[in-house]
Amino acid sequence: MSAPARPSTVAVRTVDLRDSVQPLTDVRDFRSVQIFVLWDGRAIGSAWIDNHYQPISAARLREAISSWLFGKLLKTMLARELASNDPGGSSGDGARLPVDIPVSIVVATRDRPDGLRQCLRCLVAQASPRPVEIVVVDNHPASGLTPPVIAEFPGVVLVQEERRGLAYARNKGFLASRGAIVVATDDDVTMPPTWLEDLVAPFADPEVMVVTGNVLPRELDTTAQQLFESYGGLGRGFESFRVVDGKWFRRFRAAVPTWKLGGTANAAFRATIFDHPNIGLLDEALGAGMPTGCSEDTYLFYKVLKASYTIVYEPAAYVWHKHRRDMAALRRQIYDYSKGHVAYHLTTLLRDRDLRALVRLGYELPWAHLWRIWTRIRRKGPYPVSLILTEIAGNLNGPWALFQARRLVRRQGLSRGRA
Amino acid sequence: MKLVDIELTSPTETIERLEEYDALRALIRLHGVPIAWVRMPVTDGRCEATALRQAVLDRHQWVIIMHLLRDTLGASRPTEVSLTALLGVPHPTFSAPFPSVTVAVCTRDRAADLAQCLEALTALDYDPLEVLVVDNAPKTDATARLVADQFPHFRYVREPRPGLDWARNRAILEARGEIIAYTDDDVIVDRGWVRAIAALFAEHPDAMAVTGLVVPYELETEAQILFERYGGFGRGFERKWYRVDSRAGQKTAKLHGGSGKFGTGANMAYRRILFDRIGGFDPALDIGTVTNGGGDLEMFFRVLKEGHALVYEPAALVRHRHRREYAQLRTQLTNNGIGFYSHLVRSALAYPDERGGFIRLGVWWFWWWSLRRLLISFRHPSSFPRDLILAELWGSLVGLSRYRKAHRRAADIDAAFGPPERVTVSEVSVSS
Repeated sequence: MSAPARPSTVAVRTVDLRDSVQPLTDVRDFRSVQIFVLWDGRAIGSAWIDNHYQPISAARLREAISSWLFGKLLKTMLARELASNDPGGSSGDGARLPVDIPVSIVVATRDRPDGLRQCLRCLVAQASPRPVEIVVVDNHPASGLTPPVIAEFPGVVLVQEERRGLAYARNKGFLASRGAIVVATDDDVTMPPTWLEDLVAPFADPEVMVVTGNVLPRELDTTAQQLFESYGGLGRGFESFRVVDGKWFRRFRAAVPTWKLGGTANAAFRATIFDHPNIGLLDEALGAGMPTGCSEDTYLFYKVLKASYTIVYEPAAYVWHKHRRDMAALRRQIYDYSKGHVAYHLTTLLRDRDLRALVRLGYELPWAHLWRIWTRIRRKGPYPVSLILTEIAGNLNGPWALFQARRLVRRQGLSRGRA
Repeated sequence: MKLVDIELTSPTETIERLEEYDALRALIRLHGVPIAWVRMPVTDGRCEATALRQAVLDRHQWVIIMHLLRDTLGASRPTEVSLTALLGVPHPTFSAPFPSVTVAVCTRDRAADLAQCLEALTALDYDPLEVLVVDNAPKTDATARLVADQFPHFRYVREPRPGLDWARNRAILEARGEIIAYTDDDVIVDRGWVRAIAALFAEHPDAMAVTGLVVPYELETEAQILFERYGGFGRGFERKWYRVDSRAGQKTAKLHGGSGKFGTGANMAYRRILFDRIGGFDPALDIGTVTNGGGDLEMFFRVLKEGHALVYEPAALVRHRHRREYAQLRTQLTNNGIGFYSHLVRSALAYPDERGGFIRLGVWWFWWWSLRRLLISFRHPSSFPRDLILAELWGSLVGLSRYRKAHRRAADIDAAFGPPERVTVSEVSVSS
């Protein structure tokens, strides 16, 4: 069974409410448009219009935005008004991290010079008053594709990590960086100039150890890209939340849903956690480039929460991610994610003796798959059964992948003497 | 029941002299755009302004705020508008060249009603506007005299072929405007009706057809109230966009075969060029033929089926004088049944690829709308008069066979009269 033949393409556009809403005239090649709405540079939500290959008038845009984001617009206006009445401006929103705290941005890359160049352009354009260091980790120095790009950006530090694996690469970057806050991002994202300051702002609270941000799709041209969004995408919504310490962590009877907290495509860490005896660096056996495929970030979040620190999700700090364009790549990615998901739970089971992983693996996950297949059969969703089967295959391969990855790490050694 | 308009941007006034009514129904408008209904009891022949205001806020606060927010997005700096300033934000208007509009009123021997209709058309705030009165196979010259004597600024055309869709097609031939807005002789249009239609066409070049909101002109008799309970002609206060994506395999009959949901022929408008592409109205349908209706429904369907966009625009407001007598209402509901099923038969014949959808729709509608309601009427006898349900049910059955008959008759008329030609104004004025 394959995805239904849908020639529909979706345009991604942003509407900034700093100015009156203007017609969208450049959407004639698209069946639908997803419109991200910016308020003072923050993405507050999105509206959807089926324009059927026609331009969209200002009236229709106003209509769609006001209907889709009615509550959000009102709330935003109300929040601003209350803040302006508050002379101290001491609400969490107004608190900013002191400007003398240095930040390092670590970009892990592997033979993607064009994406990296776009990303670096955005990074050097960040509007930040603080000292910012940019560290690029080349995870495939043998190809020689990355250094020429770095040469275009004076001041960007290049480090090399020959051991394949995103966790190895990121760890190398974390160890090489000098900032008190370390920001992790990828070579397939771009971001607005306000991104960095929005992302690090919650660190004004000393309890906060990790901040994650929103990840929006840069384009939805292909079916694969649209399906990735219906798979769940990488964004975690437009509402900020904070996961307060171990209370949240211990609340769950089933596994802690740390994967709902965001990912290292857009995350910031207080550098001290890397030296914390119970937290440390990313687990080298997890993550892209390893047989496990992903979850190195999720496991780090797990350890941070277990150590009773706070994680904040800050949707104002958003990046644009370019999803894989073709179905084969999407399938591979979803397969990897599914492998990594199981590997992650097994890691919490084996390393942390967290028995809740068993609930997840033995009960929740099988039911979730069955439910989604049932949903699809009743044609209630666009997500094809073949991808769900891919996920199941990935899940089943998870234990073996973890075993292989662990063996690989034993052979290659840890990022630093001991984790 | 008394009907009134409440414009929220002007002060609400106490409504008096309501002794004859037990309730009041107010059409709530914001910047002229209709946004909701409010029903109020009448006490001592009055309805107090404070009570009215309170009721509007209690029931429709969110709709009002939604419209204010929508206007705010059109302001020059939306993020700087404060909540308290919401009310002061001007209603955004589209400022570009507006199209020329021809209003076509198709009528037959109802000069008294027509006079009121034309009176309202005189008050329209639009330019360039042409009003065309199409007199359909009249028995008397009352209509011709009415236009010549009282409305000499309107164009009068006589269409001798009997049938509403012949008259509508005559209007297509005669119209000089880029937009043709159709209304009926029992309709009183709102002052801003044409402006709302023209604004929509001007701002949305892809819109080919627009239907608007039809509210009752009066609810004086039981029959009129029953017609509103039956569903009336109104289709809500939200603008709606319809277009079928046949490239993605969407089927028009399945999605939009029941085209009564778009509105009615009493308030519909088209770009004139549309008819060059998809043809005119089917003369075998609608009043004056044995199908007794469905000409508008069939056209709505064809617009979508041929890949064009249809928009329901509630700001385009007209008031329809529902049938006052119960017997008239029953006849109308029978005709609704006949007309709807004639449209189904006609469209299924015209588009073989949609037949499956039409058959399913016809069966489902017969069950859902007629049989189910009939069953309910046995359990709850007061819900809706059973004879009216039966009238429509009967119409649905009869309607299945009417189209072929009407089609033959239309061919006969065509043969007898020859192809329609454009009649010049001077020729017509001779006959009056």
